Parts: sequence; C-alpha cells; structure tokens
Amino acid sequence: MAAFTVIDHTEIGVAAAYWEKTGIPTSYDHLMILVSGRDSSAGAGRYGKMQFGDGSLDTGTNYSATNLMARTSTSTSSRDTGSDRIPLYYISDDNDSADTFGAYRIWIPHYANTANFKQVFAQTSAENASSTGYTWALALIAGLWQSTDNIERIRINAGTGNWMQYSTFTLYGITSA
Amino acid sequence: MAVIETIATTYLEADAATVTFSSIPATYEHLQLRMNVRTLRTSSLETTGMRLNGDTASNYATHRIYGQTVSLGAGGEVATTRLYATGQMPTSVQPPRTLYGAGLVDILDYVNTNKNTTIIFQSGETTSNYPYMTFGSGLWEDTSAVSTILLYPANGSAGFVRGSVFTLYGLKSS
Repeated sequence: MAAFTVIDHTEIGVAAAYWEKTGIPTSYDHLMILVSGRDSSAGAGRYGKMQFGDGSLDTGTNYSATNLMARTSTSTSSRDTGSDRIPLYYISDDNDSADTFGAYRIWIPHYANTANFKQVFAQTSAENASSTGYTWALALIAGLWQSTDNIERIRINAGTGNWMQYSTFTLYGITSA
Repeated sequence: MAVIETIATTYLEADAATVTFSSIPATYEHLQLRMNVRTLRTSSLETTGMRLNGDTASNYATHRIYGQTVSLGAGGEVATTRLYATGQMPTSVQPPRTLYGAGLVDILDYVNTNKNTTIIFQSGETTSNYPYMTFGSGLWEDTSAVSTILLYPANGSAGFVRGSVFTLYGLKSS
C-alpha cells in the first residue's frame, strides 16, 4: 500500500472563512497538510487557526502552543495556553504583494491514537516581496490538543478575513506499514 | 498509484557548477526537493541559490530564521536574482570531506498560474566550527508554471562538490 494517500484536496473558489475536512479515516498513522493560502484581511489578525474534533468540533479551551517566530531581524518565542485553537500564525494577506500566497506545512503524528493527547508540528510563512519588519513572518509551532479522541475532523480558520480564491489545502494520510 | 513520485535524482560523480531539473511535468500539485550539499567555496559556509524557469532578473525574495552555534538571527532579502534553497552549507574548507549539509524545499502549487510561486525550506549542517540551521520561505514574483529549477552555490564558488545529491519529487493531489 502506498505510504502517502491524498485524503482531501481543496482549492478555494469563493472566499471562505475556513477549510474543513470531516470523516477522516483512522486507518493512517500520521497526517500532513500543505496549505498555500492568502487571507483577505490586512494586517492584524491575519493568522490561521486550527481546531480538531471527533464528530463535533472542539471549540473549548483545550489547545495550547509554543512558537519560535521572526517578523523582523529579532526572533521571538512565546506560548499560548488554554486557547480555543492552535495558532498557525501569519499567512500572506491582501496587503502583501499581488498574487502571493503564504505556506503552512503541518504534521500531526499518531492522530488516531486514543491513549494520548495530539501533538502538532507546523512550519508556516507569510511570504511577501518586502523586507520591512511585520510585513512578512516565519514561525515554527508545536501545538497540542488536550484530547485523547482520534482526530476525525480538522478545521483551519482564516484570520479575521477569509481564505481567498486559489488558496489550496492538501491533506495526506501516511501509513507506516 | 503513488502520491509521491521521484521525478529525477542527480548524484554528482564530479564537481559541478550547477544542477538543473528541466522539463518538470505539470502533473503534480506540489514539488519537493531534498538534497545533500557541499560546495567548493574556500571560506567557511555557502548558501544554495535557486532560479526558476531561467529567470535571472530581480524577481525573487527570501526570508529566513536561523541559528548559528548559539546565536539566533532572521531577516529578508527582496528584489534579488535568486531564491535561497538552503541556508549555509559546508564547504571545501570544512572537515571532514564526507560532511554534506541537508536541505528540504517544498514548492507549492508550482503550476497554478493564478499565483506567484512560493517555497518553504529548511536546512542544516553541523560542522564543528560553524553549525548552522535555517528555516525560510521564498517568493518568485511570476505566475508562470515552474518547468525548470536551477541550483547553484550562491556565494560565488565554483560549484558543488562531488558526492552532492539532489532529488526532486512530485506530490499529487488526487
């Protein structure tokens, strides 16, 4: 059996507040998501947020995250606890260079393990043809969903705007044997 | 049918100035480039440059966050004539000769002509004097489908050292 399987691929046609996949089978070992996205908002709040569920979406304060980030020549690190989502941080937005989309690479190992909480690792970028501080961003994120439920549902919300047309979301299932 | 397929691998049997992947099929959603790199530079470190579709104009931007030994840094470059495909890699003056840095690049939606091409990359090497790791992203301000990728040492050295290896994968979306 192939090691990688495409579970879902969505290209946004009409601007949407979120991408969501439900009915994720438990038959894989790990999940990986590649996002090429652009947020219709401009400036503050232009970062994506991830939520999970097994059946219904968990919107409780069961998420936390730690990040290493750069938006200027000085790197920073911070944490986010008791949140209702995992912040994926900044993505390119409608203030940025035309036709430019940011990228998220997200790994969710052992997403169907019902003995452990779910750990997420993400590498994210808001690419832009500018070197001015706060017009671009890079982040490495460790995120946690404090639930032993298997992940049957994933939602990635846009920032204060919507995911713009041509944003793409590809969800892969990875098997180990 | 496999979701990830090898498009081509280039293993350098001899030192080479550049490595090129051409006639890249348009049948995938994303590309991924994995490489082990050592360059001929006679100074300590060297980055790997990347140009797409033969474009040598100032149409590229790169942003990076990096750590060298115990120091952190970050920054961006715009209107440059190349992307970074890796951060600093080992060079000919960094022993041992068997040491090659590692790099991984995702090239997202490379045939979608509604968007410029964006990459994200990570790389690292652990020479004893100058260990270096990088996470970054890059932009080619052009909406053309990517059909050619050129890689070269970006600090002016004569090329990649024999034994450097580059593999280009295609990732499908259905």
